[in-house]
Amino acid sequence: MRFARRIVSALIMTIAAAGAIRVKGRGGTPPRHGGWRPVRIPPDDGGAE
Amino acid sequence: MTVWLAGAGVVAHRLSQLCGVDQLSPFDPRRDPFPELAAGDVVVLALPGRHRGLVEQIGRHGASVITLADDLDDTQQLFDLGTLFSSNDAALVVGAGMSPGLSGLLARHLSSRLHRVDEVHVAMHGAAGPACARVHHRSLSGRSPGYIDGEWKEFHGGSGRELCWFPEPVGAVDCYRAESPLPILLHRAFPEAQRISSRRSATRRDRLTARLPMLRPPHAEGGVGALRVEVRGASPDGARETYVMGIAELVGSVAAAVIAAMITELESFGLATGLVIPGATDLPTNRLLHHIQEHGIRIQEFTGQPSD
Repeated sequence: MRFARRIVSALIMTIAAAGAIRVKGRGGTPPRHGGWRPVRIPPDDGGAE
Repeated sequence: MTVWLAGAGVVAHRLSQLCGVDQLSPFDPRRDPFPELAAGDVVVLALPGRHRGLVEQIGRHGASVITLADDLDDTQQLFDLGTLFSSNDAALVVGAGMSPGLSGLLARHLSSRLHRVDEVHVAMHGAAGPACARVHHRSLSGRSPGYIDGEWKEFHGGSGRELCWFPEPVGAVDCYRAESPLPILLHRAFPEAQRISSRRSATRRDRLTARLPMLRPPHAEGGVGALRVEVRGASPDGARETYVMGIAELVGSVAAAVIAAMITELESFGLATGLVIPGATDLPTNRLLHHIQEHGIRIQEFTGQPSD
């Protein structure tokens, strides 16, 4: 019984810590859009580059 | 000059749309008698499977060949035929799809900004038609060559996860090593590069079922695919630089545009004779990329600046 209580306590503490980090964390998420721009390549070379 | 087209899949269909049906002479090498080829003709092999025997037969007639090259062993065997084609003043274009193909051209374009190329890393997402999807499925259980610090290493397909960022609408996708001839082709085009890698996107289910037969028939055509080419090296002042280019288009349309650009170049100016690998220094890379853009493929560059 004591062992089970320890496991439940550990789980609750883990969930609480993860939740706090997720809510209060300042790392943010990396950008998920943008960063690309179209380019136009001219046919400037008649032979090898 | 006659352009013969072997294949009836998505890529062949798109190529017919780009070039015009009347400009291409279709044939099926598995059913039809071998066509009467003349020196100067071009044969496009947009077929799944191995092509070595067929390519050799075509080469003996003095015609040029454009092949997609998606099989590792077959591509290595095609290298032996370079002499046959150069002796007939014909070209054997190995790898004229999205990757291999456009990936090599973009890598060469980016390398022109560098004094020395150290690394070339390519990632690809998506597949064209059912045959391409089957190749993708098999590739995740195959052997994946990689060039690391000047040595060839063989990895298991499906290993080496890396989150790769493609142009929108594809965005960030997990990619893995997969069986592909691309590193070997890139090493021929960039012998100075010390690290060359090739990855393909895959889901957990793709990796889990890679060693099994395909559990359900593939789609008639995959959705929007994407390509990401990253070149690292040193600028003339010695600084380390990284340049990234990519596309997000239907894979079949990209492969057809690359083949159409090669045909245009063969018709207008002629390519180098013998073995022709997209990304090699003796190719008019910018002109080929310009042709590809003219066929509606939008090339993009990664700026690192997020947009809203």
